[in-house]
Amino acid sequence: MVSHDGPSESVVVSAASSAGEIEWLLMECTPLNKRLVWRMRSLIAGLIVMWLILAGRLVDLQWLRQANYARSARQQRLYVENIRARPGEIMDRDGRLLAMTVSARSLFINPSRLKTPWQTAQKLATALGENADQLFARFHAHADKQFLWVKRRLTDAQARRVRGLELPGDVWGFRDEYLRQYPQGTLAAHVLGLRDIDGNGRGGVEQSLDRFIRGVDGKRVMDRDARGHVLQVRDEVDAMPADGRSVRLTLDSVIQVFVERELDDVMQTWKPRSCAAIVLDPRSGEVLAMASRPGFDPNRPHVECDHAWNNTAVSAVYEPGSTLKPCIVAWALQQDRIQVSESLHCENGKYRMGRRLLHDHHSYGRLSIEDILVKSSNIGMAKIGERLGNEGLYRSVTRFGFGQRTGIRLHEELRGMVRPLKQWDVYSTGSVPMGQEIAVTPLQLIVAHAALANGGTLIRPRLVMNSQNSPGQTVDRVSTFCVKPAVANWVVRQAMHGVVQRGTGRKAQIAGVTMFGKTGTAQKIDPATGRYSSNRHVCSFVCGAPADAPRVMVLLVVDEPSVGAPHFGGTVAAPGASRILENALARAPRSSSSLQTAKK
Amino acid sequence: MYFRFGSALLLVLAISLAGIVLEKRNLELRRRLTRQHYQTAVLLEKHAKLRLKTQRLGAPQRVLKALRPGQLDQRPAGDLPPASMRSIPLLPWQRQLPGTVRGQP
Repeated sequence: MVSHDGPSESVVVSAASSAGEIEWLLMECTPLNKRLVWRMRSLIAGLIVMWLILAGRLVDLQWLRQANYARSARQQRLYVENIRARPGEIMDRDGRLLAMTVSARSLFINPSRLKTPWQTAQKLATALGENADQLFARFHAHADKQFLWVKRRLTDAQARRVRGLELPGDVWGFRDEYLRQYPQGTLAAHVLGLRDIDGNGRGGVEQSLDRFIRGVDGKRVMDRDARGHVLQVRDEVDAMPADGRSVRLTLDSVIQVFVERELDDVMQTWKPRSCAAIVLDPRSGEVLAMASRPGFDPNRPHVECDHAWNNTAVSAVYEPGSTLKPCIVAWALQQDRIQVSESLHCENGKYRMGRRLLHDHHSYGRLSIEDILVKSSNIGMAKIGERLGNEGLYRSVTRFGFGQRTGIRLHEELRGMVRPLKQWDVYSTGSVPMGQEIAVTPLQLIVAHAALANGGTLIRPRLVMNSQNSPGQTVDRVSTFCVKPAVANWVVRQAMHGVVQRGTGRKAQIAGVTMFGKTGTAQKIDPATGRYSSNRHVCSFVCGAPADAPRVMVLLVVDEPSVGAPHFGGTVAAPGASRILENALARAPRSSSSLQTAKK
Repeated sequence: MYFRFGSALLLVLAISLAGIVLEKRNLELRRRLTRQHYQTAVLLEKHAKLRLKTQRLGAPQRVLKALRPGQLDQRPAGDLPPASMRSIPLLPWQRQLPGTVRGQP
């Protein structure tokens, strides 16, 4: 009999036989087979762990630290080039350039690619006029670096010589940088200040108006390959630089030249520690010239003495001496403590105030108020001081702006020194009217006298006329009422005019010009003794013209003249100040600037 | 069928060619613009350097030395260029010269 279920049986038999084989394999587990199974399991486990690690790393890269890596990749791929804004120009009132910017080449090398550093150093030193040993030492010290400045802001001739060396192209290169130039040389150096190697304003207008002058840098974004070569410029993210604004100062270069020459003469004749001069338009407060000595050349900023950096016209204080007297007299007249028709007895040259014995240079009897100023009588002023009292004296000096900044746009300006009223004593009553016990800057002093010259209004001095690129901008003239016009006019046209006509300022007379002025000779404190020195003086002279409608005021301050004699304001400072005034009168504007005046 | 297919192909081809032409033209214009920017920068720099030189030569400090002893003559007002051309005062020291306007440079 033939069975119908033959194939099924064979399958069953086959399956049974396969199961039997596995069973057999399992049953026949030799140590070799066990090791094989174990290895397979280990391999599978290892693969799983490896995949888990890779997955974890993937999560780490793509999720946890994605931002950091993306940033790094962007930094490697993108190169952001800073495009420096060209700083604005500085001009005088007539548009002459005082400071401007040109482009200059700066030389760099890649020290890591230098194959012959000594020979390269020698060649570059010859081309640049540098020391080869020092250059080689720098190459050696930075041998592992890829960038090293060799010299910044080369002259055209130096750049040509470097090109002529034909150094390997991958070793060196030029970069364009801006170079600040001062075409008028040392002229108005203290007022202008300078820009350091990184383009930051240092001192003067360069620093105080830095945010206008420097402009806003732009940027250019480029893609680069692994070798650093630029692939493309990304126009869409570029930002163009905004060049700095040009600034027009109130200075007049020609008057400035006269002033600086006069200061040079003073330095040569009297060998003082320093000297300063200011020329001011009393109607508008515009500073027409301002200079100090010793000075410096902003194109080659190296100085022999540290105080050559100081603009002593605004950053040095001294006791004003007799130049303060007109302000005190004006305030006493304003307060009706004295009358112009009055006369005071000057005690024949000796007057005791408490424990103190005051002296005059000459013995005077009864002097009118005008003559007290003309003769510069200390005793007469002390008596006026007694009438005002300490409170009145304090108000007079603060009213004329002493002890506070004038507000000129020079960051180095000092506020001078006026002690708090509670520290004043009976000694102050005699000292302050003759210009002691307070310290002022030359600018404060000339601004106070300008207030008398313009009819009694204290004006904030201005150094900046306007800023270009902002034609609609108006400059407000900030002014404060100080004394009545009648009082100011009397002090200027009578008393101070008399000082030049027949008083201590006779050496300042200018033929054909009705001028006014006041001399000042202030003793300095001797640091060794702590007392007023008899041979260390600050000589000053403040003057202006024409007396009936002053257009120009000049102040010349000479600190510690050391040769020649005698050292009085009338002998040391007055002649120079009058020469400056004479030249300035020919140049100064006839009409005042049309400015908006804002009374405070 | 073939005609439609051919027309579509030609249209695509024509648009592509036009795109390429426009792209090339765009690149050419950008290249010219860049060159002009560069030339402007070079000229501006030259202008700045010449201006610096002029200002140095005409600096009052330098010129007044020669004017005083008569080594240098002041130019008569008639020789001056028109006001529109002369904006920076150099040698003439007069405050206001005939035919000139004081103004910013």
